[in-house]
Amino acid sequence: MHPILSSRTRLLAYLLIWVPLGGLLAGLAVMQDWSRLEALALAAPMAMLGAGIYLSPFYLCKVVSVENQSHRNLFITWALAAVTAAGLWSGAAWGVARFLGRLEALHALPQRITPALPVVWSLGIVLYLASAAFYYLLIALERAQKAEAEQLQLRMLAQEAELKALRAQLNPHFLFNSLNSISALTTVDSKRAREMCVLLSDFLRKSLGLGERRQVALREELDLVRAYLSIEQIRFGERLKVAWDIEPEAENALVPTLLLQPLVENAIKHGISVLPEGGELRLHATVLKGTVTFAVDNPSDLDAPSKPGLGLGLRQVRQRLWGRFPERCRFDSSNSDGRHRVVLTFPLEMES
Amino acid sequence: MSKDTFTALVVDDEELARALVVEHLRAHPEIRILAECANGFEAVKAATEQKPDLLFLDIQMPKLDGFEVLELLECQPATVFITAFDQFAIKAFESHAVDYLLKPFSEARFEEALAKAKAKCLAGQISVPHPAELSAAARDKWPLERIVVRDGSKVTFISLDKLDYVQAQDDYVELKTEGRSYLKQQTLSSLENQLDPQRFLRVHRSFLLPVDRLARLEQGLTDSWTAILRDGTKLPVSKSGYAKLKELIG
Repeated sequence: MHPILSSRTRLLAYLLIWVPLGGLLAGLAVMQDWSRLEALALAAPMAMLGAGIYLSPFYLCKVVSVENQSHRNLFITWALAAVTAAGLWSGAAWGVARFLGRLEALHALPQRITPALPVVWSLGIVLYLASAAFYYLLIALERAQKAEAEQLQLRMLAQEAELKALRAQLNPHFLFNSLNSISALTTVDSKRAREMCVLLSDFLRKSLGLGERRQVALREELDLVRAYLSIEQIRFGERLKVAWDIEPEAENALVPTLLLQPLVENAIKHGISVLPEGGELRLHATVLKGTVTFAVDNPSDLDAPSKPGLGLGLRQVRQRLWGRFPERCRFDSSNSDGRHRVVLTFPLEMES
Repeated sequence: MSKDTFTALVVDDEELARALVVEHLRAHPEIRILAECANGFEAVKAATEQKPDLLFLDIQMPKLDGFEVLELLECQPATVFITAFDQFAIKAFESHAVDYLLKPFSEARFEEALAKAKAKCLAGQISVPHPAELSAAARDKWPLERIVVRDGSKVTFISLDKLDYVQAQDDYVELKTEGRSYLKQQTLSSLENQLDPQRFLRVHRSFLLPVDRLARLEQGLTDSWTAILRDGTKLPVSKSGYAKLKELIG
């Protein structure tokens, strides 16, 4: 949409610019010893015509962008366009002058216009190029505004995701199921019931404590995951086995808070809890040349209809990792040989 | 009918959760626990073979969830759902399941549910609507991704990609897939409602077919049409079925 035609105030402002321009035309004519009447009679329709003609460079600006055209191309295109448009305008001046020349009071106009045509034409070229520059500026401004709005929206989305991620930590179903296990254990095995109460409190305290910080060492994240998994191991019994393979160096890596627990929770939800026989959850962390690789690997249900894309939990993990290490991290989620694997890769940064 | 013993089935994929229910039931000498089942398949098998009076049923279980278990049972035991999951599901079956228990539950709450279940059992079968509809409404999964059927006491999943067509047989639907056919207690309309109307079309009062199986339409002598499927099967198409087909594939 044309930026001037799309808004009434802009259109009005644009038309107002043409009043002094018309005045300039008339002034130039008077300086050439035209009568005031002659000057005005020609300048007024010329300003109106100009207002129309000089709306057009916008469309050319849209098609011929400054960024991806060579200077030579740009120069040729705009020179041709300006010469043509100005030619049209001065041609119109000539036509109008001849037409008005039929009137008694303006009979000298046709003779007067001929020597003035080169001036009109040059002025037309200047105006055309000026308006083109103006449109380029408008387009760039609009683009910048749009980019800023998008940036703002992205930032808001990221913050929202962050909040949601933190809030989602305390999955109520996890709590209810754990409490139910405790309820069952109280008579069956009261010692383990007490143990589970302690584990659950431990987990809650840790996750509340971590929630207040922006980033923590992987070690603390893994502690939380350990607490979480010990609770789930009581709940799932033999169905949940966990294999740990963590390089000590990786434990120092700084990561956004509560990044790993959703990964593990996801692995339980879609890996262990949907399989009657359960399976083994594998956690790996390694460091190679300043890059940390963290992987969670779980058995998956081959019969389940596969859904394209990531679930909300994994999407949030990806977003938060990206928010902390923009363009320096990777998030891969893949399925093979009946196992689902999520791999995070990010730079090793440690607390100073 | 008076009854002094009740048989029961306890179904939950978590051992501790089962143990809790069993423990509560142990206080009742009139209840005889037939079996404990760790998943839906075991539950369907045990319930089909042993026809329990009472069913304590977890909802979230691997492969076959509690709703699907109920959907596959011909006998309808007085069922108490036990779940840590929230209200949306509960709303749908509130009026139809005997009761539901939210994990963790108190002893008093369990006793209340048990009393209701026993009462329902004595009152006899009053299960309307059919659990298949209940299950669809409660699970919030639409459209259906697969159809569960029971063959004796064995559970089979029919993938929708492999479904050839469906024929209504009174209160049952006959599902044709890979040269076999399965009967399931459900009306054709209720099945139709669970499927994606862009993929499955009811072309006749008694027939529903996947649109991509259709090879062509043949016009009969009068105003009647016949659908020819890719494997050569001929199915009648009603007037309204023809109109729907035309609208869908032009």
